[in-house]
Formats: sequence, C-alpha cells, structure tokens
Amino acid sequence: MEDAVLSLWHKIWRVGRISEAAPPAPTAGRPSVAVSLGGSVQVRHVDAGSCNGCEVEIGSAFGPVYDVERYGARLVASPRHADALLVTGPVTRNMTEPLRRTYDAVPQPRLVVAVGDCARNCGVFAGAYGVTGAVGDVVPVDLEVPGCPPRPEVIVEALRTLTGR
Amino acid sequence: MSPVAIAVGGAVAAALAGVVAALVVRRRERPVVVGTLTAAAGGSGVVAGGAALLGQRWSVDLPGVLPLSGVAVSVDGLGGMFLAVSGAVAVAAAVYGIGYSRHGLDGRFVQATVPVFVLSLLLVPVAGNVATFLACWELMALASLVLVIAEHRRRAEVASAGRWYAVMTHLGFVAILMGLLVLSVPAVDDSFAAVRAAAGSLSPALAGLVFVLCLVGFGSKAGIVPLHAWLPRAHPEAPSHVSALMSAAMVNMGVYGIVRIGFDLLGTAATGGGNRWWWLLVLALGAVSAVYGILQAVISTDLKRLLAYSTTENMGLVLVGVGASGVFATTGHSVLAALALAAALLHVLGHAAFKTLLFLAAGSVLHATGIRDLDALGGLRAGLPVTTAAFGLGALAASALPPGTAFVSEWVLLQALIHGLPTPGADTSIVPSIVLPIAVAAVALTAGLAVVTFVKAFGVGFLARPRSAAAAQARESPPTMLAGMALAGMAAAGLAVAPTLVLPTLGQVASGLVGSEVPVAGAVTIELIGVTGSLSPVVLTVALLGATVLVVAVPRLLVARRARRAARLWDCGGGPLTARMEYTATSFAEPLQRVFDNVLQPVQDIDVTHHRESQYLVAAVEYRRRVPDRVERRLYEPVLAAAAAWGRAGRRLATGSVHRYLGYGFYTVCALLLLLVITR
Repeated sequence: MEDAVLSLWHKIWRVGRISEAAPPAPTAGRPSVAVSLGGSVQVRHVDAGSCNGCEVEIGSAFGPVYDVERYGARLVASPRHADALLVTGPVTRNMTEPLRRTYDAVPQPRLVVAVGDCARNCGVFAGAYGVTGAVGDVVPVDLEVPGCPPRPEVIVEALRTLTGR
Repeated sequence: MSPVAIAVGGAVAAALAGVVAALVVRRRERPVVVGTLTAAAGGSGVVAGGAALLGQRWSVDLPGVLPLSGVAVSVDGLGGMFLAVSGAVAVAAAVYGIGYSRHGLDGRFVQATVPVFVLSLLLVPVAGNVATFLACWELMALASLVLVIAEHRRRAEVASAGRWYAVMTHLGFVAILMGLLVLSVPAVDDSFAAVRAAAGSLSPALAGLVFVLCLVGFGSKAGIVPLHAWLPRAHPEAPSHVSALMSAAMVNMGVYGIVRIGFDLLGTAATGGGNRWWWLLVLALGAVSAVYGILQAVISTDLKRLLAYSTTENMGLVLVGVGASGVFATTGHSVLAALALAAALLHVLGHAAFKTLLFLAAGSVLHATGIRDLDALGGLRAGLPVTTAAFGLGALAASALPPGTAFVSEWVLLQALIHGLPTPGADTSIVPSIVLPIAVAAVALTAGLAVVTFVKAFGVGFLARPRSAAAAQARESPPTMLAGMALAGMAAAGLAVAPTLVLPTLGQVASGLVGSEVPVAGAVTIELIGVTGSLSPVVLTVALLGATVLVVAVPRLLVARRARRAARLWDCGGGPLTARMEYTATSFAEPLQRVFDNVLQPVQDIDVTHHRESQYLVAAVEYRRRVPDRVERRLYEPVLAAAAAWGRAGRRLATGSVHRYLGYGFYTVCALLLLLVITR
C-alpha cells in the first residue's frame, strides 16, 4: 500500500506538467446568461444518441493535456449540480424525454451546448427512423460546437466562451 | 387496612369480574366490558405497586385456599415495582384490546382468559410462599399459552409456536419447581420468610444447584439465550395486545425471579451475598443475550419477530445489570451494586413502556394491513399517522439515544460498570480487569445495533413509499387502540424526560436488597451518590429540541424569501421511481449481516437455470437467503433429533402385543427379586 502511494508520487514527480500552454481567450459570442455565472461553470454531459466519437474528445478536453478545468469548467454527476448541459449526438426517440427532463432538472440560469455535427443538425443520421431531430429541436441551444468529431481544442474554446477565462 | 391490601383486593375482584363478564355478556358488548374490567384490575395493580414502592407493606396468609400450605401474599418494594409494571402494561393492553378484539378475538374463552392472564401477572410478584408462587407461575404460563394459540384456526404457524412455547415454558417450570423445592427443604414451612431464614443452612454446592436451576427456569421465561427459542415464535403469533403483555410484563417475571432468589431468598447477608460465580454466569448470559438478540433483530424482516428478539436483547441488558450488581456485592462494592441493580430495574420499567408501545403499534399495522413483513410494508405515514408517530416514539425510546427511555437506564448501567473498572493501584483481580470491560463493550455494541434495528424498522416499515397494495390502502385503527398506544406512549415519554420521578425509589429498593446506601438522588438531574456522575434528561431533551429547531427552522426562514420553482423529482430522466427501487429491510441490514457473517452464518442458495438450446444462455437465476437462528440449529436440532430417535427406538419395544407387555412385567418382577436376593 505504502509502496503504491510512493510510486504514485514518484510518477507524478517524473511526469511533471504536461498541459499545453493556454491559447488566447476567446472574446466573441459569450451568451448573456454565462456572464451571470461569474467564471465558474459546472457541466453535465448528456449523450442523446451519440456514436461516442464526441465523448472521446470531451474526455480528452477534460484530460491532463487540454485540461479545461483550469479555465473554470467542471464535469458534475447530476443536472441538479449543473449550470450547463453538454449534449452530444442526434436526439434519438428514446432519449428525447430524458433529455427534456434533464434540461428541466438544471437550476436556472442554465445553458445548453450542442457538441458535434450530429447535435447541431443530425449529421449523417439526419432522417433516420429512430431520430427525433437535432438538440435544438428538443431544448433551446445557446452554443454550438462544429466538427465530426470536434477537436478537443474547439470544445475547450467553447467552454472558455462560457467561463470567460 | 393497608392501601396495598385494598388495591390488590380490588385488582383480584376486577379481574374475576372480567372473567364472569366474558362468560355472560353478549358478544357485541363483551370486549368493552372485559377490557374495562381488565384495565381496572391493571390500574389497581399500579396503585398497589406504587404504594408498596412508597414504603407500604402488606402480607396475609389464607391457609384454606390452596391445599397443604395455603396462599400467602406478601408485598414488598421489589414485588411492588414488578406489580406496578405489570399493572401499567395491562391497562394499556386492555384498553387497546377493546378495539383489537373486534376481529375474531371476542369469543368467550379467549376473552375470559385475558383477565386471568393479567391477574396471574399481578399475583406472581406478590406471592408470599413457594406454593402460591408456583401456582401463580403455572396459571401465568397456561393463560398465556391459551392466548398465544387464540388464532390457531387462521394460521398454521400458530400451532407450532404454541407447541414450542408449551414445551419450553413447562421445562422451565420443572427447573424452577426443583430449585424452589430444594431451597425450601431446610425451612420450617414454605413461606418466603422461613425460606430466607433457613437458606444459610444449605451447603454451597446445594445453594449453587438451586441458583442454577432457578436461573434456567427464570431465564427461559425472560428469553435469555440459549433458552430464547420460544420467544421469536410465540410473540409474533400471539394477538398483539397479548404480545405486549407477554413481552413487556411476563418476561419481567423471569428477572423478578432471579433477583428474588439471588438477592433476597438465597443470597442474603447470611450466605455472604451469594457466590461470585453465580453472578458472573448471570452477567455472561446477559451480555451474550443482549448482543445475540439484537443481532437477530437487526436481520429480522418480520416486524413482530424483530420486536421479540429486541426483548431478548433488553432482558440481556437487564441481566447484565443484575449480574454486575451481584458481582459488585460479592466484592464489597455495595454502592456500585445498588447502582447497577437500580439501573436494571429502571431498564425493566423503560422496556415495559416502550415495548408495549411498539407491540401495540405493530398490532395496529397488522390490523390495518394484515402484513408483518417489513419488505412488504412502507408508506404507512399517510394512512396511519397516529400509529406511525407511536412507533416512531417507541423506536426512539428503544434505541438508547437521548432523549430516549432506554438511554437513561443504559447510561446509569454504564456508569456503574465503568466505575467498577480497576483504578491504578487498586486490586487487579480478574473481575474488574477483564469481565467489566467486556461487559461495557457488549452494552455499547448492543446500543449501537439497537439504533440500526429501529432505524430499519421505522424507516423501512413506515416511511418511504408503500411496497404493497395492502400497505397503500391502510386506514387508521379505532380510537380505543389509539388510546392504548397513547397511554404507553405517555409512559415511555415520561420515563425518558423525567426518570428522576422513579429512579430514587428504585434506588431505595435496590439498596434494600444489597444492603447499602441509596445510590441515586435528584429531582431534575440524576445525581449518582458514591461515584461521580450526573445527567439531566430534561435539560438534554430541551437542548436537543432547541438544536433541532435551529437546524430545521433557521435555513427555512433564510430561504423563504427566495423565489421557488417546483420541479420533478430527479429520477435520472428515466421515468417514475417505483417502490421496487427502495431499500428493503433485508438490503438495509445486508452490510451488517456481512460484518457479522461468522456469527450469523446465513445460508445462501443460487440456482442458475440455462436455456435448453445453449449452456451459455441463462434462462433464470433464483437467489434465496435465509438466516437461521444459529443457537437453535446447533443446540435444539440435535436435541430434538435425539428425542425423535429415542422415540423411534422405544416404538420397537411397544408393538401392541398384550403377551409382550405381560412378559415385560414378569421379567421385571423376576429381575427385581434377583436384585433383592443378591443385595440382601
């Protein structure tokens, strides 16, 4: 047990800091609701029917290399704790009602970010029999992140737009 | 004429009037008349017991009533306390029984037995000689047996429970009978005064034998491990007001017997306060019962079975107090002895109050839903608000947390045990350095597990959502049942807030038995005399209430000004939560069952059925889990199997042939003649 702790510390020491240098902060397109959050945005991720490509990129955005947490965004485990929803994928029929309920469960003021082309306009799944529509057809969307899948830098930039940092 | 005499006479008269009324009054009015008369008998018992506790004494001999030795009645402080407890329980149970008996329990025989049972409970502690004591004891056993099997036509398990109870209570009676007969051999007659005077002439071995026999008999009545097997069977199957009488009043008689024999008749000053090993045995049995009883209660899912195991636990705690008191008395710490005994007596009193309340509330649930299984209850708060409040109060009282009833007595008990621990420089014999720390640990563990048990019983059984249609449609019980619960609830709350009303009196009784000064005093604050320690239940209750109000009300006031938005309960977006998603009693207790795996030894079976087409596809998985009473499995089953084997072996001798039986007689006579020839 003690060895494991020591080796962990050793590894942390050896690896050091691997985060990329912060690019300049985005200046345009900040929603007015985001201003009232004061630079700290708690984010709940909802997979509304994604192929999981966007999830991988969100994972790296919150990983040690891109580390979006240093700009004030944080993933939380419940919409009750969240300020913003990060929705991926086209909204499938089974996820339509849960997405609406999740949106209702977020305390106001609240924001919705549609991540990926599928979330914006159903992407390659447009017109498929199990798809209700894009995220914007189900809940009001405040910010869109294009890409299939979007690169982590773009996701980081969108979240920095919300936090303003 | 002494007030005790008038009150005892009134109790007997009211109970006998109740019996007559049960036989002659029409069915519609019968429960009301019998219940009222039984309650009057109980009330007279409370008056008599209270007067005896305040110093009134009364004894009378009626030589013509029973053959050979006659009836003798003698009321002293100890008997008065148990008399008052039985009477108080009887009042609440009788009032409750008026409403509860409406459904199939209003037959002549059952109704006539209730006052008989109450009368026997009132007479056992005032018996003044061995014959009267044994007669009342047997009357108590028979009356309670009749009441246990009152519902045998409705449920098959009742008959089995009745058989267990009948056999165990009579084996216990045999042990008490032998013990008391040996005890009264050197006495001039069988009155307790003569027995007390002659007890000094018994040899130590014989005195030990008497004590162990009585401990076995009285311990089986008190539900002490390993003689508790009848309790979790009979208490759930009896009608609920009878369960309350049995669990809150009848088991106390076991404690009464042990204290009466150990401290009064056998262990008087003449015999040096008894032997130390007697009391170490009592202490060990008490500690084992307390821990084992509450462990079984934690994992019980039957509400009344849980309460029955909790009775074993509480009687165990009482015996820890009694045993510690005896140990202290034999080692010369007479103040600590009186303190431990006073704690035990206070626990008897508090247990009677909250166990009556809990059994009556459980009966109300059973009356409204027909269910005892906690896994099928829940959500009773809406349909049964008064019963829920009553059970909640009882659960708080039973869980040894302030401001509960059991908290005060367990606090006094722990004070006595802790002050008996060895001090630096004092004697380091085995008792204070090993036995007492283990006893403290057992009491503490029991208190902790009791909290879990009653959180489970109240939270799973009464709160959350109903798990069955019967629980969802439950409606509140009739007013007489609520009145019975209210009486018991007031007693439990009164003992929790103002134990100082009775504790100094109990201290006097205890100090009279062990021959020391009174160990406790105080009108509002309990002040221990001889050792340092004080506790004020009133101040504690007020402080806790104030803190609760502060924690609950202040945040509400602070957020009241903000705008509120009504939102759906968060269910992960997936749809409404169902009652199947709730914690059940089984799952709530599962972590503890895992912790005490080695003690409880649960039996688990997993049957996996595969599809016919492929071994890789599972069609069904069946999981069964049972936690059998381990003492029963290890101790009773071999004995029962041996008895059955003995019976089968005996059957070969009795084939039904007359010639063979004549042959047995002939050969026996021949053998006896030969024996006489050889030995002469």
